[in-house]
Amino acid sequence: MSNRKNSVLDGLLGDNTVFSGLMVISPVIVCGDTIANALAVIYAFSAITFLSVMINSFVPKKLPYTVKIIIYTLVSSLIYIPVRSAAVHFFPDVVERLGIYFMLLAVNSLIVVQSEAKFFKMKRGKMVLSLIFYILGFDAVMLITAFVRELLAYGTVYGRIVDANTLIGGLGMPFGGFILLGVFCGIYRSIRAAIRHENNGAGGDGDVSDS
Amino acid sequence: MRNKIKSQRFIWIDIMLTLSALSIMQYFYYGVRAVVLSGICVTVSTAAELISLRLMNRKFTADDLTCVSDAVILSLMLPAAIDYKIAGIACAFAVMIAKNLFGGRKNMIFSPAAAAYLFILTSWKKDVLMFTAPHVHTGVFDKASELVSSASHNFNTTGKMNASDFEILMGNISGPAGAVSILLLVVAAFILLLRRDISSGAFFGTIVGTALLAAVAPMSVTIGDSVKYTLASNMVLFAAIYIISDRRIAPKNNYYAFFYGFFIAVFSYIFVLTTAKENAVIIISVLFTPVALGLKNLEKRIDDLAAKEETALSESREEEKADEQ
Amino acid sequence: MFLIAELVVLLTTNLILTQALGTSTLFIAAGSKKNLLWTAITITVFTTIGSAAAYFINRLLPLSMGDFRLLFYVLAIGILYVLLLAAIYFADKKNFETTRKYIHVSAFNCAVMGTLFIVTGRAAIYSAVNSLSGFMIAGAEAGTGFILAAFILMAAFRRLCSKEVPAAFRGFPSMLVYLGIISMAVYALT
Repeated sequence: MSNRKNSVLDGLLGDNTVFSGLMVISPVIVCGDTIANALAVIYAFSAITFLSVMINSFVPKKLPYTVKIIIYTLVSSLIYIPVRSAAVHFFPDVVERLGIYFMLLAVNSLIVVQSEAKFFKMKRGKMVLSLIFYILGFDAVMLITAFVRELLAYGTVYGRIVDANTLIGGLGMPFGGFILLGVFCGIYRSIRAAIRHENNGAGGDGDVSDS
Repeated sequence: MRNKIKSQRFIWIDIMLTLSALSIMQYFYYGVRAVVLSGICVTVSTAAELISLRLMNRKFTADDLTCVSDAVILSLMLPAAIDYKIAGIACAFAVMIAKNLFGGRKNMIFSPAAAAYLFILTSWKKDVLMFTAPHVHTGVFDKASELVSSASHNFNTTGKMNASDFEILMGNISGPAGAVSILLLVVAAFILLLRRDISSGAFFGTIVGTALLAAVAPMSVTIGDSVKYTLASNMVLFAAIYIISDRRIAPKNNYYAFFYGFFIAVFSYIFVLTTAKENAVIIISVLFTPVALGLKNLEKRIDDLAAKEETALSESREEEKADEQ
Repeated sequence: MFLIAELVVLLTTNLILTQALGTSTLFIAAGSKKNLLWTAITITVFTTIGSAAAYFINRLLPLSMGDFRLLFYVLAIGILYVLLLAAIYFADKKNFETTRKYIHVSAFNCAVMGTLFIVTGRAAIYSAVNSLSGFMIAGAEAGTGFILAAFILMAAFRRLCSKEVPAAFRGFPSMLVYLGIISMAVYALT
């Protein structure tokens, strides 16, 4: 029971979508500089990924791998159309600002790679739960990164000015996203290693890598 | 091994001596604020080094004092009137991100000072590229009332330097104090080259590349002025000594190091010529990091092959000897 | 001088270093030098031919159907995916099992799809790009940029995975920071 619970939660903590799997990192690096951007990406990513994987799970497994991958991406590209229409209403300014990154969420690794490699090997109930936590894993990283970058780079939190007198503008740039994500990834790994070490008792080998 | 450790420590002492001379010059032109700036850089760097080594479960040894020389190099590249917080952030970035995150002094990838300089250049461009004029002393806690652009900027945009050769030699022109004291830098280069503290291949590669391009595609009216001003501006000489020729970064073999320095010089000169980008040599030196690493990989492969060949040769000789006996 | 200017353009318009497009693919392929290079080359094939397909789609697709562009681009890349697999199968059946993985990794990712949208955007601004050859050249340039980024990562790969690097940062985290610092230098150039 405990094992099952752990594996379902993996996407959020033990095998985080971004920090561990290094999937969907370009939106975090480029668009994750403000909370407003992050919320729009979170909405689009969650909606497109969840609906696509759910619909794709009905695609016959006997089909050749290549055909299945093409079908998966075509389905997500179709789902993108209503998701974008809704986003234009909810986040009118942000959608324009995000540009191509909004569209590229439709070909994200969770749909193209992980569906076949992970989700479709599970039973449907477990798959739904696991998928939700993988999506939440991305959402959490996006939100945390955006909060830190917006605060340090622009001195605001969700557009509201806070009292910060030294702003590091570079953190709002893609290179700032690369560096900050790398640092967060290292911190995540050390925390995960510490927790695993504690759970397993003394004598861990100190390996914190994802390989 | 012991000799190697000893020689590394002597290199550090030599570099610190030359940097101290530049710091004295900085004090002469910009007053006590420049010294306080260097002090803050050294303090923040040492604290960052101690913290990161502790996090890495490593002990602080005399070899880790390179963080101090990196801090002084960085402080000499900055305007004396820069906000202390910016300098502090740069030093923390240099030690924690550009150096220790990659494993510290045993696994150097970037020049910490160059990477940190770029980090603050991209975030606080105006603060990094605006200077107080020489002999304008700003109080320790005061803000400079009047800032001017550097002599390098004027040269890049007009092809002229509004200073006599003597003033250029003495560093009596606006710019980062450590990087404009040309006479002192020439002496420092001479000492460090003689003591083999810096890569002579990379140093001469940079100087030859810059001089050659300045002669072939001059930025000034005469070729002589072009060569002279190009070498004296945009931190070229300073970077050639303390960043490009840094033994921790440059390829070991002087032949490879020469071309490493040469191409950095060629790229940065063309960049200055076409875009008037100030201090392009620092940017290009960071961009050339993969080239330095690639050349080092090549050196290692050649060394391994040579060692293998030598072992095979000695084995065959031994076999021959055994056969003869 | 022309070559240096071209190299600077490759750096300053690099998909990975300036827009982080295809970073995940680069890291997936970073497991071995051979994988990295072949993936980069395959991606260049996709971006070049895919851009040609994007040119025709843009010409045929009415402006009012802009939201469907992604769908048609995906369809074009899908067809290219099948054609390339078939070509490799008939050209070299012996090594098909080994070579097909590069096609699988390279087909649907941000580097390829992003290139099609970026080239389309560029063509809307610069009329010189708005031709079949313009699209293909821009696509090939984007792919070459990916190869350049692969070389940049390959040069430091051994050091970034070295035992000297703290365990928590060894591998991917240090690769991200390394690319970040190179990307910072590229940004400083512009």
